[in-house]
Amino acid sequence: MTGQEKEKRCAELVGKSKEVIREAFKKFNPADIAITWTGGKDSTTNLWIIRQVCAEDNIDLPKVMTIDEGDAFPEITDFLIKMSQKWNIDVEWLCNFDVLKCCQSHLGNIVRVKDLNERNRAELKRIRVEQDSFTFEAESEAGNHLMKTVVFNQFVEENNISAMFMALRRDEQATRKHDEYFTKKEGGYLMPEHTRISTILHFTERDIWNTIKSYNIPYCSLYEIGYRSLGARTSSNPGKVGVPAWEQDIEHVPERAGRRQDKEKAMERMRQLGYM
Amino acid sequence: MKDVILLTIDALRKDALGCYGRGKELTPFIDSLQSQCIRFTRGQATGPYTQASFPGILTSSYYLEYGKPKGLSPHRTLVSEPLKQAGIVTAAFHSNPYLCDFLGWNRGWDFFYDSMEEEVSSRMPYIKGNVINAKVTEWLSSYSAAGDGKPFFLWLHYMDIHEPYIPERKYVDMVDSSITMSQDEMYSLFENTLLKRDVSDPEKVTLLKKLYDMHVREVDTYVQDFFNTLDQLGILKDSVVIMTSDHGDEFNEHGSLSHDDKMNSELIDIPLIIYGAGKNGICDTLVSNADIPPTIVHLFGLDPVKKFEGHSLLPLDGYPEKGCFGEAIDQRGQRGGDIEKDSYFYREKDLKIICHAGVDRWELYDLNQDPNEVNNIIDTSPAAEELRSKLKPRMRRWLS
Repeated sequence: MTGQEKEKRCAELVGKSKEVIREAFKKFNPADIAITWTGGKDSTTNLWIIRQVCAEDNIDLPKVMTIDEGDAFPEITDFLIKMSQKWNIDVEWLCNFDVLKCCQSHLGNIVRVKDLNERNRAELKRIRVEQDSFTFEAESEAGNHLMKTVVFNQFVEENNISAMFMALRRDEQATRKHDEYFTKKEGGYLMPEHTRISTILHFTERDIWNTIKSYNIPYCSLYEIGYRSLGARTSSNPGKVGVPAWEQDIEHVPERAGRRQDKEKAMERMRQLGYM
Repeated sequence: MKDVILLTIDALRKDALGCYGRGKELTPFIDSLQSQCIRFTRGQATGPYTQASFPGILTSSYYLEYGKPKGLSPHRTLVSEPLKQAGIVTAAFHSNPYLCDFLGWNRGWDFFYDSMEEEVSSRMPYIKGNVINAKVTEWLSSYSAAGDGKPFFLWLHYMDIHEPYIPERKYVDMVDSSITMSQDEMYSLFENTLLKRDVSDPEKVTLLKKLYDMHVREVDTYVQDFFNTLDQLGILKDSVVIMTSDHGDEFNEHGSLSHDDKMNSELIDIPLIIYGAGKNGICDTLVSNADIPPTIVHLFGLDPVKKFEGHSLLPLDGYPEKGCFGEAIDQRGQRGGDIEKDSYFYREKDLKIICHAGVDRWELYDLNQDPNEVNNIIDTSPAAEELRSKLKPRMRRWLS
């Protein structure tokens, strides 16, 4: 693709996202929508596009939230702070401090269940984690539930959120191939009802980098040294060390090398089926 | 050439189906197909739970064949692999975590859906059959719309019969409307009785079996919906559908519940039905689920795959008379199971020998005389020594 073709494609992709965002603002009151922002390339691009629509249409930017699961890269935290100041965004930092307190904020430390507050104890019971203690790891079953799901649910409930802007992309996984822009998640056992709005669903990883480059969208420095996908610190690995993400073989090498999360998901399902 | 569909149903006992002799009909639709099916009456699983049985169903190999089990070994050949290589379109739809992409089962598929990205709950820890059907329908519609005439192999798997046994009201009413339990009560029965393998109260065991039956009734409607879709899309008349389950489920036949590591009939006997292969009728030959991949390869007219340990079930008169083998490790210990607690079985005709290798305990049953497997004749049967010598070389070969 020539530079001109690239820019045309990026403009089309961004245009499509803007349509989705405007549709969302028709379907939901912007005050009842929230934006998830991890500081990664996808959610930052997503936020950048939503901000544009809000500026163009004179709408207040919906609430922006980020979840600190206790295992964040300092580079990401710095990036989030720097950008929220630059973009003048009042970010809601969600964190399950009770768990961090019980393990002295130290990964690998043991959390004794009896030290946790009542809500966290009840949450563990709900997912049938019945040990007296567990090792604090952000992406273990207990860690994942307490540090992410619980704070997310609490946020949705307390703010009466009816929809969330998320930065999922169809090309992340074969199973996302048929995803829709608006997905209603029924309220149930593990989460309150809400609609997910996947604004940048149609972008590929390559499209994200092309868009970042053509519009000068800021990104976290970790991508410069080889990371392609950023999650928790201990479960993210760089693709090719020292090679910026956008110069790697994006088309042939899968984006998600740190597969720890997939393992934990499988284990959780097995446990729910009555195994282990 | 016909398309081939493999429809597997988790934890479906053979004796839950009307066509396998159950009195009260839980499976009216599957039963109604029988005049167009070959029904195998002696189908054997290669193991009593998903991880032990699916290597047979999809790779025609045995659970412990490639060392300590940790996901699907790259040395195994999934039936999708030679098919895809031969230009056949392959697609898989299921919701069983033991068969997910992460554990290595996504090989050779043009489309693979394992549902692991979806949110599920403890009450329903999988994607239901109607959702699987909807996804399959979408795929089939786009496949038939593309119209490039390539044959396809489709595998779909329903989880709905698997515990925690919390059937919806309409299926409760279809089977026994006198049951008035709430879903909370059903879940508590799962947690307090089934998970604890507590068989002390026969009423609770009966109740669990009833809830199980209701899910069987439910799955029959999904099978019906699926067949209707195939018919509407004009695919059914050109398809062979192989239906089976990976294992059964126990309701205190041998002192426990669910499906752990036992080799008894309630877990190992599986339904095996082939629809639309031209021939119809009943086949009493002893066959294994490891015979399924060679059958699929045969149906597509491809050369046999050397690595496959089973034998094509078709043509019926070419099938060799042979024994069936299976194995498992006790899963109830720590994660991954206790390797010291491994069990094996070998069956020839109606004689089945079982060995619990960790404790060197042997059992032998004559299933013709003793279908419930209660009289262990290992010390009295003249056949014991020969069967023992046939099973022994297969035991613990994975430890070396």
